[in-house]
Amino acid sequence: MLTLLLKGALATLILAIVGIGGGTVLGVGLAGLSFGRAWPLRFLYRLYVFVTRGTPVLVLALLVFYGLPAMNFALGPYVAGCIVLVIYGSAFFAEVFRGGVLAIPAAQMESGRSLGLPPGAFFRKIIAPIAFRYALPPYVNVCVMMVKASSVLSIISVWELTLAAREIIERTLQVFTVLGTAALLYFLICFAVDRLGRRAERHLMRRGFVGERA
Amino acid sequence: MIDIRSLQKRFANGTEVLRGIDLAIGDGEIVALIGRSGSGKTTLLRCINFLEEYDQGEIRLDGTALWYRDEPGGRRVRMREREIRMLRQQMGIVFQQFNLFPHMTALENVCLGPLEAKARPPAEVRDLAQALLSRVGLGHRTSSYPYQLSGGEQQRVAIARALAMRPKVLLLDEITSALDPELVGEVLEVIRGLVAERMMMVIVTHELSFAREVAHRVAYLSQGRIVELGAPIEIFDRPRDPTLKDFLRRIR
Repeated sequence: MLTLLLKGALATLILAIVGIGGGTVLGVGLAGLSFGRAWPLRFLYRLYVFVTRGTPVLVLALLVFYGLPAMNFALGPYVAGCIVLVIYGSAFFAEVFRGGVLAIPAAQMESGRSLGLPPGAFFRKIIAPIAFRYALPPYVNVCVMMVKASSVLSIISVWELTLAAREIIERTLQVFTVLGTAALLYFLICFAVDRLGRRAERHLMRRGFVGERA
Repeated sequence: MIDIRSLQKRFANGTEVLRGIDLAIGDGEIVALIGRSGSGKTTLLRCINFLEEYDQGEIRLDGTALWYRDEPGGRRVRMREREIRMLRQQMGIVFQQFNLFPHMTALENVCLGPLEAKARPPAEVRDLAQALLSRVGLGHRTSSYPYQLSGGEQQRVAIARALAMRPKVLLLDEITSALDPELVGEVLEVIRGLVAERMMMVIVTHELSFAREVAHRVAYLSQGRIVELGAPIEIFDRPRDPTLKDFLRRIR
């Protein structure tokens, strides 16, 4: 039983990593859209975030898994599951990054402008690192949320921790032991994500963000 | 040289901050801007490198018009971002609050401009930055982050960062106002060193004794106008304008 749950946990971990990775990349792009100069870009961003964030993961999962095949665009449950997580996460990640950029002190932006830095260098050297520092705590928060959101994918027959638990319960009827163990495994994964986040924060502290707190 | 002609600016809320400023600053000249808070001196300084936009008038650097261009129809438009960037690279500014990049060491702060904006070779930039930091007395703190430095040290790094661009003019915006009194001296000492090099400077300051010591000319601003302009001796010892007399009396 435990081996099966551990395998499920591994599947969950992989789903979370894919979702977090893809969601982060898409989120960065979307956040960039939110600072677009033309208003249609900003509108598009608002619309995307509004719709995605306002849709329950479960509905999104059903939509992608059953909705797309109806349009002759069939996907296996795993691909569908990953797409769901990436889309769902991207809206939250985008907002987190947007917040990070908005938190950059105007004075530091002025410093960059006064040096006459080209846009690429401005983003790489100033905006991205400083925004990332401000975005880190809420970013970790969304990552933890993603781990748990992956459990919903069991509904569209993605085999992961929750589905594994349900299968075992059907055979053994040990509801509390099995679900308890599954919950503990979820907790451990989330705990690990949180610790990683803390480590990253401490690392950044040493690299110059300590005084910020004063 | 910098030539400012009938510069006017009003804030979005309608307040007129600058009501027609005329000022020419020659090569190697140091002009100090003094006046009460709200007189427009910092805004004027920030207009020079376009951190602040302005509504009318023009600024020239060595004869070239800056920041705006008149289109054939007579419409006044901002220059392209690229042109603005190139022009800004010819000016250095040091801020009241230092504004160093917190995630970069002193050396990285100084290297950033020449490396990324001017695309100079890394080895050359490192040597330049190292030399500049030594010059401001921080040769031993190159790998310190801003939070590890005192206010005076941070401000000296900021000066080195501005100098690293080899600017034609250095704009100093109340650079000692945020410092503890005992740290003011070390920063002013660095500026004194630049005076000897005949660096063109525009200095907004509340340190009147310093303005008197280093400035070739002092401009007294009040309500968005230059009310009195002259050699430090004239401004400080023989002020004519009654509001300037009052201002000097209060500050002493």
